[in-house]
Amino acid sequence: MSAVLAARHLTKHFPGVKALDGVSFELERGEIHALCGENGAGKSTLIKLLGGIHPKGSHEGELLVDGAPVAFDGPASAEAAGIAVIHQELALVPELSVAENLFLGRLPRRGFRVDWNRLHTETAFWLERVGVSLSPETAVESLGVGQKQMLEIARALSKKSRILILDEPTAALAEHETRTLLDLLRQFRREGVSCIYISHRLEEVFALADRITVLRDGRSVYLSKTSETNRETLIRHMAGRDIPKSDRASSPETRRAAFARNAVPRLEITGLRVTDPAAPEDAPDVLEGIDLRVHAGEIMGIGGLMGAGRSSLLMHLAGAWGRRTGGKVRLDGADLAPTSPADTLKRGLALVSEDRRRYGFIPGQSIGFNLSLSSMGEIQRGWIRGEQETPRNRAVFDELGIRAPGQETGVSVLSGGNQQKTVLGRVLLAGPKVILLDEPTRGIDVAAKEEIYVLIRKLALTGVGIVLVSSELPELINLSDRILMLREGRPSGVFPRGTSAETLLAAAMSPPTP
Amino acid sequence: MKQTRSSLRETALLLTLGAVGLGFSLATGGDFLTSRNLSQLFIEYSITATLAVGMLLVILPGHIDLSAGSGVGLTGGIAAVLITNQQWPAPAAMAAGLAVALVLWAAMGTLVVREGIPAFIVTLGGLQAFKGLFWKVIENKTIPVAQGGTSNALSLLTTTYLPQWLGWTLAGVLIAGFAWAGWRARSARTAAGLSVETAEMWYLRTFVTAQVLGLLVLVCNRYQGVPMPLVILGAMAFGVHFLVQHTPFGRSLVAIGGNAEAALLSGIRVKRVTLVAFILMGASVALTGMLQTAYAGYSTTDVGNLLELDAVAACVIGGVSLRGGRGGVGGVLIGALLMAVLGKGMSLLGTGPEAKYMVRGAVLVTAVWLDLRMGAAH
Repeated sequence: MSAVLAARHLTKHFPGVKALDGVSFELERGEIHALCGENGAGKSTLIKLLGGIHPKGSHEGELLVDGAPVAFDGPASAEAAGIAVIHQELALVPELSVAENLFLGRLPRRGFRVDWNRLHTETAFWLERVGVSLSPETAVESLGVGQKQMLEIARALSKKSRILILDEPTAALAEHETRTLLDLLRQFRREGVSCIYISHRLEEVFALADRITVLRDGRSVYLSKTSETNRETLIRHMAGRDIPKSDRASSPETRRAAFARNAVPRLEITGLRVTDPAAPEDAPDVLEGIDLRVHAGEIMGIGGLMGAGRSSLLMHLAGAWGRRTGGKVRLDGADLAPTSPADTLKRGLALVSEDRRRYGFIPGQSIGFNLSLSSMGEIQRGWIRGEQETPRNRAVFDELGIRAPGQETGVSVLSGGNQQKTVLGRVLLAGPKVILLDEPTRGIDVAAKEEIYVLIRKLALTGVGIVLVSSELPELINLSDRILMLREGRPSGVFPRGTSAETLLAAAMSPPTP
Repeated sequence: MKQTRSSLRETALLLTLGAVGLGFSLATGGDFLTSRNLSQLFIEYSITATLAVGMLLVILPGHIDLSAGSGVGLTGGIAAVLITNQQWPAPAAMAAGLAVALVLWAAMGTLVVREGIPAFIVTLGGLQAFKGLFWKVIENKTIPVAQGGTSNALSLLTTTYLPQWLGWTLAGVLIAGFAWAGWRARSARTAAGLSVETAEMWYLRTFVTAQVLGLLVLVCNRYQGVPMPLVILGAMAFGVHFLVQHTPFGRSLVAIGGNAEAALLSGIRVKRVTLVAFILMGASVALTGMLQTAYAGYSTTDVGNLLELDAVAACVIGGVSLRGGRGGVGGVLIGALLMAVLGKGMSLLGTGPEAKYMVRGAVLVTAVWLDLRMGAAH
């Protein structure tokens, strides 16, 4: 057998981060090759490279299709080479029909007009091919996620794709839809279509894949035939063995000495249930049965895979999202109703969102403007008193080590790390009792990361309760005193300090205990 | 960097303004520069600019008000009808007009923030509904603001001029105020370790401000004195400038326009702040309505017609971003002045309304295009 698709020594840098570090990878004809790894291991970057989304010139290394070197300047040229990427977020136009979506941008024509008859016959053919019984004229918005997924696959096949790359295709599928999809992929394999399959669900990987590659920290660390490996080995390689031991300086004992452990918790959540107000009536709750206590000076980690409900939980606590259908949240012993971010902030609970650009700062304004935003009440007497504002912001600017010419510098020109420090500074100036940190080091360089770790520990020492959500297990293990793992919006265990990454990862992936 | 860019824009605008003024002076053989003409220009300018400065408050958080022109006619019409037909005392009639505007703008603001209907749609509806209401109030007639030969608080709004000595005193106080405020801000920045302009720059700025204010009073005094609308505009502009630059409310408006989601998560009460901005806009509409109606001398169906577009144009020419989050009172004042100078100059030249509209449209688009080009160059 020869490789239909091969990658040699792929390296891809993002500012401050090496997303891929010399990855080599081969896909045989008629093979299903699973790609596994934690969030941030480099899987998405790899498929973006293979799919032409990161074009030639933006990375190092070589790509070969059928043994011949290729260079993609965009998704279209990857498609022309027979590679189709099916992303987690489906790229369909909801208002258009199934047929129109299937042939979007290449509708069959007769003269100037669309040849509707041919469009519908061809659509019917491809739909049958993926085993979906649908009228070609159905509007896509009325389809379920599973059907949309199948439609994407049909579209890929209709473009004569020989290589399918599926990114978490079953994440949103129901059990029977997943079975249909897996059967379909097996059938394609018999027909000689090759497939790269990315999934967090190890059961599927073992049920489907011929070979498995594990990525970690941008490197390919493990390759095996499925028949010659097992779940434990896989998890061990995904987590890695070289997770640094936590440093003693900020051990929970130190902090426990400073704050009476059995005092009222800073944050106490019992039996929390939250639904998505935008979801249909019969949709399951996004969060269910969440119990959590965070004491003064404690760093409570929350782990889980993407879509486990971590960010939803934090956004809900901050009063910005979701309808509470059960349970209680207490802040310093007093009930905290989900009203508005302004109210929760005033009560002493502040959020640093994972999406800095969207939720974190006001672009086009200065660092100082952004620093003041959550605490304008404290420096005003009808008007904002510059003689108080400037020195106060200056102090935070210096303490956080924001690297910029001054606080009048525009926040948009800063690096990710300095923007994050600005957001943290804004939150700190509001004087919170509990800080919710959602992926506080996402997209920032290593040096700034370390500074933010130091800051988080320092904050805990001042008696703030900290909730830390992170997709990076080493970060979570290193900083947290305890870790709550979530899986599909349900808790799958609370683990003490010193728990191994393997155990945490298993908790993130295991089906919820009945 | 931002500072540099906005002062660059204002400098460019002022230069354009100077060139346009000079052009009209030459073209009219100096008629443009007579005190009488300039005095009228200042009154007309004050009316548009008062509305434009209010408009800034709704554009900053990313909204717009298309109903302002109809509102101007309506509020003035209510006051005129109450005075002339119902024999109300003028102050009470004006207060009634203001009250109606506050209620209507609070209602529109509520529709925007609570129901999430775009302001464009809500105020487009307002434009038409208020115009209909306006015509109903004045019953499609022409209602004078005061009985012939008499005057009242409403009519005096645009016929009052400050005595010469008061004009000079006011100018003196303002110049001293500017000098003091500038110096104080400079010292505060020095104390905080921020970069400051040189003392020479400060002196130059103060000197130019003094020259401009002095010249303004001189010109006005050669006619009848500083007109009241200009004083009202000055107060309004100062108030809004202070609100936008120095209060939590103004910061919140800017933040909402810059990134509404981040503003919300930063603890800003986005809905409340936006609603207040609409109510303040209502007040500004009522004020402009009184001025415009008083200046016309009567309320009639076309008072305030298309004035909302002048106000929006003044904002946009003055560098206010229609997406929100960017803009200041200074730019709006200059933008409105450019529009007013163009209008008055063309009137003097006897330009027909056809050409006037075309020129104004071209100026608006050109100004924004240049602004984008300047922005891209940075």
